[in-house]
Amino acid sequence: MRINDVREQFPALSQKVYGKPLVYFDNAATSQRLRTVVEKMENLAFGSNANIHRAIHKLASDATEEYESARDKVREYLNAGSREEIIFTSGTTASINLVAFSFGEAFIKEGDEIIVSESEHHSNIVPWQMLCQRKGANLKVLGINDNGQLKTEDLPSLITERTKLVAVTHVSNVLGLINPLKEIVNICHSMGCPVLADGAQGAVHEKVDVQDLDCDFYAFSGHKLYAATGTGVLYGKKHWLDKMVPYQGGGEMIATVRFSGTTYAPLPGKFEAGTQNLNATPALPVALDFLNSLKDSELQQETESVKEYLDEELRKRSEDHGLGTLHLFGVPHGTGKKIPLWSFAVEGAHHEDLALILDKMGIAVRSGQMCAEPLMDRFGVTGMLRVSLAPYNTMEEAEYFVKSLDKAISMLI
Amino acid sequence: MNTLEEAKKAVIEDFSMYDEWLDKYEYLIELGKNLESYPEEKKTDDKLIKGCQSRVWLDWKIDDGKISFIADSDAIITKGIISLLISVYSGRTPEEIAGDDFGFISEIGLKENLSPTRANGLVSMIERIKEIAKENIKPAESEVLTAEDAKQLAPLYDNVILAIKQVYDPEIPVNVYDLGLIYELVINKRHEAYIKMTFTAPTCPMADEVLAEVKKSVSDVPGITGCEVELTFEPPWDQSMLSDEARVELGLD
Repeated sequence: MRINDVREQFPALSQKVYGKPLVYFDNAATSQRLRTVVEKMENLAFGSNANIHRAIHKLASDATEEYESARDKVREYLNAGSREEIIFTSGTTASINLVAFSFGEAFIKEGDEIIVSESEHHSNIVPWQMLCQRKGANLKVLGINDNGQLKTEDLPSLITERTKLVAVTHVSNVLGLINPLKEIVNICHSMGCPVLADGAQGAVHEKVDVQDLDCDFYAFSGHKLYAATGTGVLYGKKHWLDKMVPYQGGGEMIATVRFSGTTYAPLPGKFEAGTQNLNATPALPVALDFLNSLKDSELQQETESVKEYLDEELRKRSEDHGLGTLHLFGVPHGTGKKIPLWSFAVEGAHHEDLALILDKMGIAVRSGQMCAEPLMDRFGVTGMLRVSLAPYNTMEEAEYFVKSLDKAISMLI
Repeated sequence: MNTLEEAKKAVIEDFSMYDEWLDKYEYLIELGKNLESYPEEKKTDDKLIKGCQSRVWLDWKIDDGKISFIADSDAIITKGIISLLISVYSGRTPEEIAGDDFGFISEIGLKENLSPTRANGLVSMIERIKEIAKENIKPAESEVLTAEDAKQLAPLYDNVILAIKQVYDPEIPVNVYDLGLIYELVINKRHEAYIKMTFTAPTCPMADEVLAEVKKSVSDVPGITGCEVELTFEPPWDQSMLSDEARVELGLD
């Protein structure tokens, strides 16, 4: 398989913007949609469209089967121990909020602590801040070094007996660095502390085996891995989920309802109140199949050379000093690994100006704070420019981008 | 110095020289680079224009009845945009600026060609310039009134209030005056009425109709030569603003 074969599966990529071919380099914000994902959704919407779990008619039973078989496939993809450990949500943010509420209600008391890292995006900071406010608990921060790598070595001294959870990203959305999640989980578990991993970026680029990682929770979104917006997953170890209170009340999360009291449905239904995203969630396995198909060695070689090319070109431009020099954030050292994502600031050129000019050249990149203000403060910048690739981005696009970036910088300084 | 219309025309002409937006940006960048330097000590929060993603500072002074602006931004295209705005509007009277529709911005297609966040920033810049102009108009209206002026104005106030009382809130059977929706009412020497009013909620679907009705009703008062109605939600309306009559009407007492 070649990059162009991948490209063909994404109708959005063949469009032109301002008369120029679209170069979509904002994949970390959201990826483009697979044709097959949309087709699956269409089939469900125009065919097996009925509310799940409720009625006994044919359509309802088809829809329920589609939905529940998606759960089996996600379980398989993550190598989770049981299907009850897979909760469908609307995305990473919803998954994290679910844990922040339900785990928080069950386990967090005044004076307890939760640890997040300095490289988190807002979705893995704010729900914990809200929980801490509700419970009178404290939020502690695991720092990063100047390269952007987590100071994992600080973790043992940061965790105390009052630390009830460590919430950390698998891969930073700004730095693109792959955190040593397994090692982090090991350290935390050795000190009796569970770990939630934010997999918004990690699930896209890394093979996730939740039993091997041994994390207690893993959250990710469908829309970043070529599936539909409004779909997402929370993996949680059964023994935690069992002890957690429901997040939202409503239909399908109950066993019996009396005004004198309600008993809750067993897992996973307990955490899936109300009508689910029944046309889109069953399309998630389509995207997971696609992710599996990317393991093709010919394709990997090709995407790797695009990544290497960009990495080299961007690094070259960060070696000088003075106007026009790139400051790359999140450059791995040692054995550190990185997804095809680069964030940088350019000496003398504002990130917003660069993004605006690149946009007119047909290139979609992200500028600004990227939902990670604390990280911007850490590096002392008001924002960055971020370039994030998917396996449908070609060498030609990368070359055009580098040329365009040079042109944009020369216009601005 | 050229007139406001001439200045706008010149900008439109300059922009039309370039077909491609990339070239137009280049032009804006040049404007940004050539903008007169802005004192560092004036880069304070109160001079920041809210609503822009990049930081934009705007300061002004008034000399001889004419406002002049200085500005800066950390993003160069934004700096070019504010430079363009102040080159057109500096040296104008507050009345000229406040009375302008800023339509030349859409004529050059600037707003449409910016990213949504920057387009919002442009709107905020324009709003701030208008605001500064309006702030500088008010003193002129509170001009000294002679006893004779006051004598002529007194009955007009009564009649204007009566006219406002003809307009009813579409949802509550009380007129807008007794509801306490009128925050300011000024009639100047030229017998032009200026009204600042609010609504019970910012989401009122009939807002435009009610504003138009107030304007019409007041304009129809004999002796009134013009009427301006401005909408505000600062401070937000609450029940304590009801008149005693309205309280009785609504059975609140």
